[in-house]
Parts: sequence; structure tokens; C-alpha cells
Amino acid sequence: MSYILAKSKNEDILKAGECGGAVTSIFKYLLDEGIVDGVLALSPHDDVYDGIPTFVTNSEDLINTAGSYHCAPTMIGDLIQKYFADKKVAVAVKPCDIRSIDELIKRHKINPDNIYTVGLNCGGTVSPVSGRKMIDLFYEASPDDVISEEIDKGQFIIELADGSEEAVKIHDLEKEGYGRRNNCQRCDVKIPRKANIACGNWGAEDGWTFIEINDDKGQKLIDGAKKAGILETKSPNEAAIEGRAKVEKIMIKMSKKNQEATYPLVNEVEEWNRCIGCYACRDVCPICWCYKNCELSKSYFKDDIIASPMPIAFQGVRLSHMSFSCVDCGQCDDVCPMDIPVSLVFDKLQKKYQNRTGYLAGVSDDIKPPLYSPDKVEL
Amino acid sequence: MSDEIKIVGLLCNWCCYGGADTAGTARMQYPHNIRIIRVMCSGRINPSMIFKAFEEGADGVFVGGCHIGDCHYDAGNYKWSRRAKIVQDIIEEFGIEKERFRFEWISASEGEKFQKTMEEFHTTLSKLGPLELE
Repeated sequence: MSYILAKSKNEDILKAGECGGAVTSIFKYLLDEGIVDGVLALSPHDDVYDGIPTFVTNSEDLINTAGSYHCAPTMIGDLIQKYFADKKVAVAVKPCDIRSIDELIKRHKINPDNIYTVGLNCGGTVSPVSGRKMIDLFYEASPDDVISEEIDKGQFIIELADGSEEAVKIHDLEKEGYGRRNNCQRCDVKIPRKANIACGNWGAEDGWTFIEINDDKGQKLIDGAKKAGILETKSPNEAAIEGRAKVEKIMIKMSKKNQEATYPLVNEVEEWNRCIGCYACRDVCPICWCYKNCELSKSYFKDDIIASPMPIAFQGVRLSHMSFSCVDCGQCDDVCPMDIPVSLVFDKLQKKYQNRTGYLAGVSDDIKPPLYSPDKVEL
Repeated sequence: MSDEIKIVGLLCNWCCYGGADTAGTARMQYPHNIRIIRVMCSGRINPSMIFKAFEEGADGVFVGGCHIGDCHYDAGNYKWSRRAKIVQDIIEEFGIEKERFRFEWISASEGEKFQKTMEEFHTTLSKLGPLELE
């Protein structure tokens, strides 16, 4: 594990990318050298609230994916598993993305040799709907005029077409029920250390990307990009490393506080009773990879397809299948038509499981999820 | 009232089922509320089976397996022991008292332990009354 500061040597990428454009440059290097078949990244569609996962195979198209999209929370893990299992893919991952990829690797659904993961430090994402609403309410600008957004130093910053910026403290937004998604507010994994490298602007000088190299593959990635002449690097000073560690520490502390506040308050029975059994949470879940052969679709759990399911025979079964591997990506909250805080309960149970066994989903180094392990230990 | 309590018992073929048999042949009295389902190993039991039992109207679910180290299939009861704790965690989230689910290691020679456990479990469930799932 080592730290470096990196910056793109490509003029266009430097301009389009966030703080140094190192991530886009590394992707360009991987594509140009033919190391990967394609790059899976987000590209904007109609506006900044709409990011679409795109498989880029030509390095000239990469420039469209540069920049950050906090208002387009997506999940990469199941995309790779479903559509790119047999391809060599480079991918930009948030912490919850790499955690889901790690859980899928443990389930033999993704081959780790086939993927290059470039991690992005993540302070949280914003749902596109509440993002628009909060810009309408708390900012002077209209949501339609925003051309780019950024989260920095505890503020949600929007940039307008004329180059002017407007910022509001995230704490103030969240007090009013806006700001980051609920699962992001309680997420305590901010740096994706299971990815080959973890990039971000925390602790970095302006115009540079701070990179934590996590493994040999990551080191080779950086060395290769440097050799190809697309990346320049330098060592960060002590203050930068400390600054970054401090940002992470503060964020985790805030998340823990949020966890303590939200876990005891949720009334599961009341929430579950709203469930209409649409299966959207199961279908979107990156960990629920065997949805095609799902136990919930078996006749003994589906005797009455019109009535709402008994919570214990629906969510209960899902919880027993994968709550210990829940990476708290919040996709289930996003898709639930009844606004049940699904991920909150799943995450609460994963934390309960972690307290007992020490297994943190997608972070711990166990070879298998403990429930599948043949080891002769009682947990 | 207490006679209407329904207990579903999932017993492993090699140990606990034998234990129930021992209790029977020795004519030990135990509550007749238990409906025994024989499984080949406690490691064969999924949490969803427990949930299904509750959904179908069981007031309590009991699982019996071999003592740790005695599993006929080497490690089945270790697997079950890990699952059992997840079941305990989960049923609480659905308003089911954790006392309604019980698991125990009972060997084929421990007829008395089976009898005692059943009596205890029956008393606990009688106090809690029938399970009402919303």
C-alpha cells in the first residue's frame, strides 16, 4: 500500500476531468494498450441528474464519461455479473460498488482476473429526485441550469453555465430531509480499499488526484500509465496524507452517529406491512444473483399471488439469504414503490452480524461468506 | 388453551430424532403439541423453513441436532449453528419473540433431555400465548 499524487498529461482530459483527470487517463491507457475490452463508466444523458452506465470501447469516447455524477446513483456490481462476465473490463467503483463486486467474487460470479477496478472515494450520493427538489428549494439557481455538481468540504456545490458557483452545507440540507441518500448518510466505508487503486481529491493539491495504491495490480496500472506517458505522478507530503486520513475519520464518525440514531428507531413490522410483493428489491439487489432460481418464486412461497406476501415469508427469506452480505448500496430503497426503508433493515442486520462475527460485507478478507463456509467453528 | 399451542419440531435423524424415540420407548411423558418432522441433518435446515412454519401458524419452532463434534456428516451442525443465530436476529425484526424459536443439541441417548426441553418450551410458549402475525 502506498500513496501518490497523479495528474493527466492529456490536455482534454485535464480540462474535462475532476481534479487532475487521473481516472480517465488510466482508462485511456488500459483501452489504448488493449489490456481491457472496454471501460464501464457513467456518462451523462439529459442533464447532471441522469447518468447512464456506458460500456466504452473506443478511447476517444472516454472524454464523455469524465467528471463526477453524485446525482446518478448506480450499481456496477450486478452489471458486470449480468452482462460482462466473460469480458475484460475496467471499471470505476464507489465503495459500495467494489463491496458488491467483492461479494460476487466470493460467490464465483465475477472473475477477479477479468476486472480492473479504479476506486473513487465517496462521501455519498444524492437521489436525482431529491437533488432537483433541494436545488429548487435551497439554491437561487434553477435545477435545469446546473451544468455540474460537486461535493467538497461538507458542501454541495453546483456550477452554472456562466461559470458561477453556489454552495450549501450538506448538514443544513440533511436537517431538512434532503442531501445525500439515507444509506449514504450512514455508510462507514468511504475509501474503496478492495479496489486496485482508490482515487479522490481528499488531501490532494488543486489539479491533482490523490491515489492510494491497494495491491500489485494497482501498482502495475500506475507504472504502465506513467510509462505510456499519459500520467505524471509525485509523492504527496505528510500533511496531505494526514489531511486525507482526517477527512475519512470525520466522515466515518458522522456515519456512526447516524447509525446509532437510525437503527433503533425503525419499526420493522409497520414498514414491512406496506409491502406489496413486487420483487423490485430482489431484482435490483446486486447480491441476489440467483434471482432466476429464487426460492421466493417456488410454489411453496407463492401460494397466493394476489395477496400481499407475509413479511416473514418474503423479506424474512431475503434477509436470511443475503443480509449478512448487504453492502448498503441503497438500490432497494430507490426502487421500492411503497417507500419502505429496505436497506436500513438489511444494513442493520449486517451490522448485527458484524458485531458477532467480525465479518463486514465486501470488506473482510474471508474466502467465503461465513454462512457458506464448511469451517468447524461456531459463530 | 395451552393444548392448542402448535410446535413444529425439525429433528435430525441421527441424534435428536433418536432422542425423541428413546423418550417414547421409555414412556416418558412430554407435551404432545410438537409435530415432529424428521430431517437427515440439522445442516439441511434453511432459515426459510423456520419462517414458513411461523407463516403457516406454528406458535413455536424447535430444532434438534447432534452435539457439536458428533455430526453424522462431520460439520452439518456447525453450519446450522451459524444459521440459527441469523434466524434469531431476523425473527425479532418481524415482531416474533425470540423465545418462540429454540434449538438444542440432543443425542439419541438423551431421552430425558428431550422430554425436559419439550416441557420447558411448552411452558414458555404457553406463557407467550398463540403467535399472531399481522
